[in-house]
Amino acid sequence: MTELERLGRVDPPAPGVLDAAREVLWSAVAAEMLATAPPDAAHQTGEPAARRNDEETARQPRREDPGAK
Amino acid sequence: METDGVLIERSARGRPDAFVEVVRRHEVAVHAFLARRAGRQAADDLLGEVWVRAFGGRAGFDTGHDDARPWLYGIARNVLRAHWRAARPAGQAAIAEAVDPWDDVIDRLDSAAAARTRELACAVQKLPPEEREVLLLVAWEQLTPAQAALVLGIPPGTARSRLHRARAALRPVLAREGT
Repeated sequence: MTELERLGRVDPPAPGVLDAAREVLWSAVAAEMLATAPPDAAHQTGEPAARRNDEETARQPRREDPGAK
Repeated sequence: METDGVLIERSARGRPDAFVEVVRRHEVAVHAFLARRAGRQAADDLLGEVWVRAFGGRAGFDTGHDDARPWLYGIARNVLRAHWRAARPAGQAAIAEAVDPWDDVIDRLDSAAAARTRELACAVQKLPPEEREVLLLVAWEQLTPAQAALVLGIPPGTARSRLHRARAALRPVLAREGT
C-alpha cells in the first residue's frame, strides 16, 4: 500500500494555520469558562453585579479623608 | 501520558481548557485529513470549525476510547460534507460522493505524476465510495479497520469486509506496480 499512501501525501500546514484554528477554539473555551464561573453573591440574587456594587457603596458611611484635617 | 478520553472527560467536568491538549495532539493529522480530501486552502479554512464542533459535542465522546482521532475524523467528515453542500449547486453531488470527491484528488495530482500513480488513482476511483472511504481511512489516516468503522458509524465487520473488497480490487494494479 506504499503507493497508495504516497497518493495521500500532503504538505504540513503553513505556519500560523494551526494557531489560528486553535484561537477559534479558545473563543469557545473562554465563553464556556465564563458561563460556568462560580457565581458570586450578586449572581445568586440575580442582581446585576455593577448595580449592586453601586448601591453598597452608597450605603456605606463616608469616611473622612485623613489628609483633610 | 493521559489518554484523550481522560482529557475530554475532564474538559466536560469543569475544565474546558483541557480540550486544547487533545487538539494539540491531533491538529496536524486532522488538517491532513481535510487537505487530502478538499485541498489545502479548504483545510486551512475548516480546521477551526472542526475544533468548535468537537468541543461543543464532547459530551457525546465515549471516554472509554483512548484515541480521539476516529471521533475527530467523523466530525471533520461532517464539516467537509457541509462545506461541499454549500459549495455545490443542489443536486449536483450525491451525499455519498460528497464525502469522498475522488475527482478532486485526481485533479490535485501533479501533472508529472508517474503513470503508475495515475493508474492506481484511476483504480481507486473505480471503487464504490463506501469501500474507498474505508480503504483511505486505513491507508491514509493509519487507522485500524475498527477505528475506520467508528468514523463511518458502521459495524467493524462491515468495515473489514469493505476493506477486503477494496484491496482485492486493487491487487492487480498493485501487483503490476510491484508494491
